[in-house]
Amino acid sequence: MATRRTDVLQGTLDLLVLKTLVVRGSLHGYAITGHIHQVSADLVRVEEGSLYPALHRMAQAGWIRGEWGITEKNRQARFYSITALGRKQLAQEEASWARLTEGVGRVLRHA
Amino acid sequence: MSLWNRLVNLVRADRLRKDIDREMSFHIEERVDDLVASGVSEAEARREAIRRFGEPLRHRERTVDVDVLVWLETLAGDVRQAMRALRNSPAFSLVAILSFALGIGANTAIFSLIDAVLLESLPVERPDELVRITRGSQSAVVTNPIWEELRDRQDVFSGVFAYADTRFDLAEGGEAHKVAGNWVSGGYFSTLGVRPALGRLLSVEDDVRGCPAIAVLSHGHWRTDYGADPAVIGRSVPMNGHAYTVVGVADPRFTGVTVGRAAEVFAPLCAWEVHQKGVLDLRSAWYLLLMGRPANRTTLEQVRARLEALSPQIYAATIPPDYGVEEQRRYLNSVQLAAERAPNGNSSLRRQYSVPLFAMMAMVALVLLIACVNVANLLLARAAVRRRELAIRLAMGAGRFRLVRQLLTESVLLAFMGAAIGVVFAQWGSRLLVGMLSSGSVPVELDLSINVRVLGFTMLVATVTGMLFGLAPAWSSSRLAPHHVMKTASRGIAEGHSRFNAGKALVAAQVALSLVLVIGAGLLLGSFRKLATLDPGFDAEGVLLVNVILPDASVPPERRSGVYRMLLERFRVLPGARSASASNLTPIAGVTWNNIVDVEGYAPTSREDALVYFNEVSDGYLRTLNTALVAGRDFDSRDVPGSQRVALINQTMARRYFGGTNPVGREFRVNFIGDAYEPPMRVIGVVQDAKYESLREATLPTAYLSMSQNPRPGAYATYQLLAAGSSESLIRGVKEAVAELDPRITLEFGTLDAQVASSLTRERVLALLSSFFGGLALLLAVIGLHGTLAYSVARRRKEIGVRLALGAAPSRVLSMVLGEAGVMVMAGLAAGLVFALASARLIRSFLFGLSPTDPRTIVLSGALLVLVAFAAAAIPAWRAAHTDALLPLREE
Repeated sequence: MATRRTDVLQGTLDLLVLKTLVVRGSLHGYAITGHIHQVSADLVRVEEGSLYPALHRMAQAGWIRGEWGITEKNRQARFYSITALGRKQLAQEEASWARLTEGVGRVLRHA
Repeated sequence: MSLWNRLVNLVRADRLRKDIDREMSFHIEERVDDLVASGVSEAEARREAIRRFGEPLRHRERTVDVDVLVWLETLAGDVRQAMRALRNSPAFSLVAILSFALGIGANTAIFSLIDAVLLESLPVERPDELVRITRGSQSAVVTNPIWEELRDRQDVFSGVFAYADTRFDLAEGGEAHKVAGNWVSGGYFSTLGVRPALGRLLSVEDDVRGCPAIAVLSHGHWRTDYGADPAVIGRSVPMNGHAYTVVGVADPRFTGVTVGRAAEVFAPLCAWEVHQKGVLDLRSAWYLLLMGRPANRTTLEQVRARLEALSPQIYAATIPPDYGVEEQRRYLNSVQLAAERAPNGNSSLRRQYSVPLFAMMAMVALVLLIACVNVANLLLARAAVRRRELAIRLAMGAGRFRLVRQLLTESVLLAFMGAAIGVVFAQWGSRLLVGMLSSGSVPVELDLSINVRVLGFTMLVATVTGMLFGLAPAWSSSRLAPHHVMKTASRGIAEGHSRFNAGKALVAAQVALSLVLVIGAGLLLGSFRKLATLDPGFDAEGVLLVNVILPDASVPPERRSGVYRMLLERFRVLPGARSASASNLTPIAGVTWNNIVDVEGYAPTSREDALVYFNEVSDGYLRTLNTALVAGRDFDSRDVPGSQRVALINQTMARRYFGGTNPVGREFRVNFIGDAYEPPMRVIGVVQDAKYESLREATLPTAYLSMSQNPRPGAYATYQLLAAGSSESLIRGVKEAVAELDPRITLEFGTLDAQVASSLTRERVLALLSSFFGGLALLLAVIGLHGTLAYSVARRRKEIGVRLALGAAPSRVLSMVLGEAGVMVMAGLAAGLVFALASARLIRSFLFGLSPTDPRTIVLSGALLVLVAFAAAAIPAWRAAHTDALLPLREE
């Protein structure tokens, strides 16, 4: 691959999706990938195939809710929005992410 | 994921899948649009979109995997694929399914027996509440006076009843037509909550002294003997020579509370008096079993406490007045009532067979294990063949877990197909087994219909089996590195042997397990042979037994002696009888009569030491049974009531009480009841030792009293007739002779041979079954060994060809293959020997005259295995030795 891109770590995908939905409100899957690429300046890339299993799993867990709707181009798509439970989960994941980056950072500095 | 979600997902499986498909295609369309907008051609854009998405199928699979609907959906797919795989290798499938059918069938058969004998509750109301009243560790039977005292004093049961298993003779004189039945107290049916199918059942009001003779029939008896005729109510039927009035028919499922014995007729206890005046007042006749249903909110502990408190009162009220000091002490110990739960009633079958049944269960479990190992081995071999297929599937992106699951589906499917056939085998096998157990006078009847428990057991066994033999091969198959397999699958001359270590270990395990079973079978067979061929001290061959019952109505007690004498004289002149005699008991009937004796000059060390076993016989008894008279004389016409009481004693008794001296002419006294001894008996002869109650016993000290000296014999006696020709004509002759004298006399025929054989039923069944299962195990092990070797030789064909081409002698190749087999067999034998020795004590109680580590049996079993294994190995070895030496060259 030409550009250096970071594949999303397992588990981090949840965090990104939840954060995206908090910021952007209701979005379909394609828009979620687009948002992540855009905001991360194309540094983080969601493996598109693994997005849908993740969305599905999060819906099962009750973090997000999916509803069929119509896009501007008049196509049917499933729009996801975050739930109260999802917000709680996001808070947790953000905190643990912060701890992880902090920890990894320290190791890199001092190792 | 909550269970609820899973269930919802199952229901909406299809919608969900469609949803996902729609979402993904939307995603791809959007991507294509964006790419086209950035100037890429539509076709290129679509390719790129799909490429970025990855493998949609695989992803969908993973998405769906999140849900449980997978389980049903892919299961169906797995099963379809498994069926295809099994069809592709019919020989393998057939062998595997048959192995399981036998293994699982045997397990189901034995389990359904265990279920019927030990687990199944009685078909009555709330069987879990029922308790059995016991006498601690002693036999639970009580006397009628004890029962009546308990019935009138107890306040812990809402219902309580007594019953006795009996056989009613439904014929009117002549040859008996006996059916299983019960004497029951009035509370029997109401306590159990059994309802009538017709008429009414017995109630407490029916069971009072002096009651009329009435009877209730079982549904089965009513159907077979009366064609389900409703007019049977009120009809009079002869039972034991008296007319009984039928008042009702019991519920179809109810056949009494004795499991394994289907009662056909029920009569109130009080009616017994009709046949035998005063029988209910006998204080030393123990024959009643008691059961009860505790009153509401009464615990088992409360019942026990109450029974314990009642015991002394019952004891005081029922002690026989003529008992001596020692007997009173023993009686006190006997009347210590207790209680235990009895949801499945009583059963002598249970007492006799629960341990053997579990032993058989262990045996069949071993057989199944061998079958598992066998199929696991076949699977391993097949997995090696299928390596390429599996590797390709792995390379194409199939998940490893998915592959394992696919392979497991195959093995579980095999197990279930085997189980389905096995259930049929089991039905057939368990019936056959019950038939084998039924050699006694009363047939064994068990409810062997497949119930939820048995079916659950079979399913469980099949699943565990499938997992057990499938998991290891499946796991090792899924760990293939695709590129490696592809590279090495077809080429190579010397195949690595490492992969086959698992297979060799499995064969060794099979050999080990088979050795255990073969040794077990050898021991049981040896024990049975010893029992069947030991000299019991009498000759049963050709001896016809005729049980004679003299009804009081036609032969009053004072005339019995004369009638017995007359019958004996008539039997002696029958043309088909070489000799005839009469006796009170017959050997190996399981009945004993013992008393304490006193011999002058002998000080017994214990009560048991003074216990002698008795029989009362006519003259000629010894001659008919071919028991030798060692010294003195037989009974003869001099021995009459009033003359000096005489006795014959066996060698054991002579040795024990009279030491080395000649006992003829010496005397001993018998303590029949109370503290007083009878007048002395004079020993007139010594007879050869003979088995008394069972063939297993150490010979008991036995004394034979003279029947002709007894002025008031009982209403029953047995005649022994040594047949000169066919027993049919002899039976005809006996019937005619008796009918001529008095047609109301009841007769029952049997042979001493059958009586002795029936005492060995348990041993015979165990020997037969263990031999069968041992043989099966051996067969499976041989198949395993042969298969493994044949496969290994096939794989090494090239290597062997090269060896031969390079000048190796065929005999070297032959011994190389045989050596390979030898290693497996020897390893197996060693492991099996250790296993067998470790489990030796489990089998000890079933053996007779053999130690569980009998070296001869062990060596013979090992030799048998080696021999059979050699035969199994010889074919592939021979083939290997005759491999075409040019083969590898030609194939290259």
